Amino acid sequence: MGVIDIMDAKGTSSLGNPNPNILTPHPSKSSVAIRFLRVLSLVRHTASSSPSSRACRIRRAACSCMAYSAGPRRAWSRALLRKLVRRRRKPPRRDLPRPAAIIRRRRPVGGDRLEVALRRVVPGGAGMEYCRLLEEAADYVKCLVMQVRLMQSIVDFESHVHSVNKRSEIDPGDRN
Amino acid sequence: MSSSRLKGSEVEDKGIILFLFPGQSKDKSFTVAVSEDPLPRLETSIDMNENKFVLNSHHDGGEWQFNTPAMSMVPLPLSAPSLAGGLMNQNTRSSYLSTPMVEVFSPGQWNHHPTSSPNMALGESNFASTSSINSIPVGKPVAISPRGMLVSTAPRIFPTSLPHFPVDSAFVERAARFSCFGSGNFSGINFFSSSPAMAPSNNEGIGDQVQKDELLQVDHESLNGSTMKNQGDQNSQIGNGESRVVIFPEDGLEGNTGSTDAALNSSSSDRGVNKRRKTVPDIERDPVQGGRQSSSETTKENIENKQKVEQINSKQIEKNGKDNSEFVKEGYVHVRARRGQATNSHSLAERVRREKISERMKYLQELVPGCSKVTGKAVMLDEIINYVQSLQRQVEFLSMKLAAVNPQLDFGIEGLLAKNLLRTHGSSSSATGFSPEMIYPQAYPSQHNLVHTGISAMASHSDTFRRAISTQSTASGYKESPLQVQPMHIPWNEELITQMAYGANPSNPQNMHSKADDFAI
Repeated sequence: MGVIDIMDAKGTSSLGNPNPNILTPHPSKSSVAIRFLRVLSLVRHTASSSPSSRACRIRRAACSCMAYSAGPRRAWSRALLRKLVRRRRKPPRRDLPRPAAIIRRRRPVGGDRLEVALRRVVPGGAGMEYCRLLEEAADYVKCLVMQVRLMQSIVDFESHVHSVNKRSEIDPGDRN
Repeated sequence: MSSSRLKGSEVEDKGIILFLFPGQSKDKSFTVAVSEDPLPRLETSIDMNENKFVLNSHHDGGEWQFNTPAMSMVPLPLSAPSLAGGLMNQNTRSSYLSTPMVEVFSPGQWNHHPTSSPNMALGESNFASTSSINSIPVGKPVAISPRGMLVSTAPRIFPTSLPHFPVDSAFVERAARFSCFGSGNFSGINFFSSSPAMAPSNNEGIGDQVQKDELLQVDHESLNGSTMKNQGDQNSQIGNGESRVVIFPEDGLEGNTGSTDAALNSSSSDRGVNKRRKTVPDIERDPVQGGRQSSSETTKENIENKQKVEQINSKQIEKNGKDNSEFVKEGYVHVRARRGQATNSHSLAERVRREKISERMKYLQELVPGCSKVTGKAVMLDEIINYVQSLQRQVEFLSMKLAAVNPQLDFGIEGLLAKNLLRTHGSSSSATGFSPEMIYPQAYPSQHNLVHTGISAMASHSDTFRRAISTQSTASGYKESPLQVQPMHIPWNEELITQMAYGANPSNPQNMHSKADDFAI
């Protein structure tokens, strides 16, 4: 299966982590895939009609999958989850400890334009020191890449299957 | 340990040299070794790995104090096993430098007591701690040399710079001989007079390695015969009463020995070099306890408490122009100041931070495609930001695409995918799978049944499937049999259906917890 190969590739291709002591090893890719697939099927079978809202949900589902797979140890995953949860309900479901916010050794300086931009891009990047920000950004990038690959493979697979089905549908029709 | 006071009003004719060897590690004991016959004893002691050697010189009118606590403060990296502890409280008599010089070889601090009186009080014969000296690796006490040199050369040097020091030829010779302190002009050593404080602030003992190197070099130079003029210059530079701190390498930097050796080689030309090489590595190898930074702070305080501190100005260090820079990270961050760089604790911390940042940037560079050629932080950051934004946009786009696909097809596809995935990857750690399980129902409260179905679709093993179902039902309190599965055109429908039938009998919820790992999803 093309998708499986992609999945395998995803599973095997792991970005080298030169700083194992600093950055935690990335979780297994298959767990993210499975989780996402589950959620995807869930979302798809909802009664929701408009594709845009579904797209929204799917996007959020993807983000939450990413965040879950990354684990609660990453600040960005926590922040992302918090953001997602807050969208649905006002009170946050989870109140994970935020040591970074509480213990601010360094106040994030808004001087550097690039740094500020990075903080905006990475979820939860506002309250972190620069060092930590870079760390989180790296992890976030890894997760994003994995998520994108996963979704892309699903899309490809589905389009492939869809086309196959279409062809198979047509054939019996032709024969008929 | 209490500080002991040594009183010496006269210079010992015998040329007794008093060495204080701080106790190993935290033991703030110092062994004062006095050998009447400096040569042989010291040689032996010198061969040891010693790291500290304190000459206590007191500036108050001929009294010197071993400030034990102060010394203790200095974290001696000396691994020297035997630095015997036991500061002696001795009121030594007579022979001691009137301006006793205390040099503490501590990982970075040396307190040099300003010597006011011209006499150098050299230990007391009582001290007999020569035995304890064993541990002192004076070896070629290069390292010690500065100190040792101080001791030995003191008489020599002092004549010019410190005129108050008695020039005792016999003593000088003895000192020179035993300490192998090179040829002996330890002119580089300044004993200073008045300032009690060793501008320890500079000392960030931390950076010390470099400074130490510097010191050694300086000393070496002085050894090599720099004239008293140099000394004078140095003195002048330092200013009267300025204290110089010799910072000793705190950390046992593994790589340092080599580099230091190289540095030393490069730096010093002569005789002392060999000696230095020997001692320096020893010193460097001494394990450092605690982070440099923390120690630097403590050492700072220590310095203040210390009687004498010998400092080397960073200027002087820069003058020497070594390329020695070592950076070793251990549990705590141990940093050695690079040559020619400020050894301020702040700047060192800054440097550490900068290194961390650059390390992370490099890692990011690997992650982001096409950034290997980019140099410069700004451009890199820009690239990274763009990349992250593009990834986010891709996710959104793909999610839109996924939303648009026909659900019927998708379901089968997903199931198939999941099945294949499970087959290929086996049962990975599925414990994590449970938490989202619990969450999803919350997140999508209206789709319990679908989740249920989804799970059933995904499960490949009947028992795990059962567990999954039970989990699901436990989580959502939902016990419907998964008959809502839509008709699938894919051949494994039957399998699914049978599995679902199985799932109709929910097993105990405990399975979820106990067999979480078996859950293949």
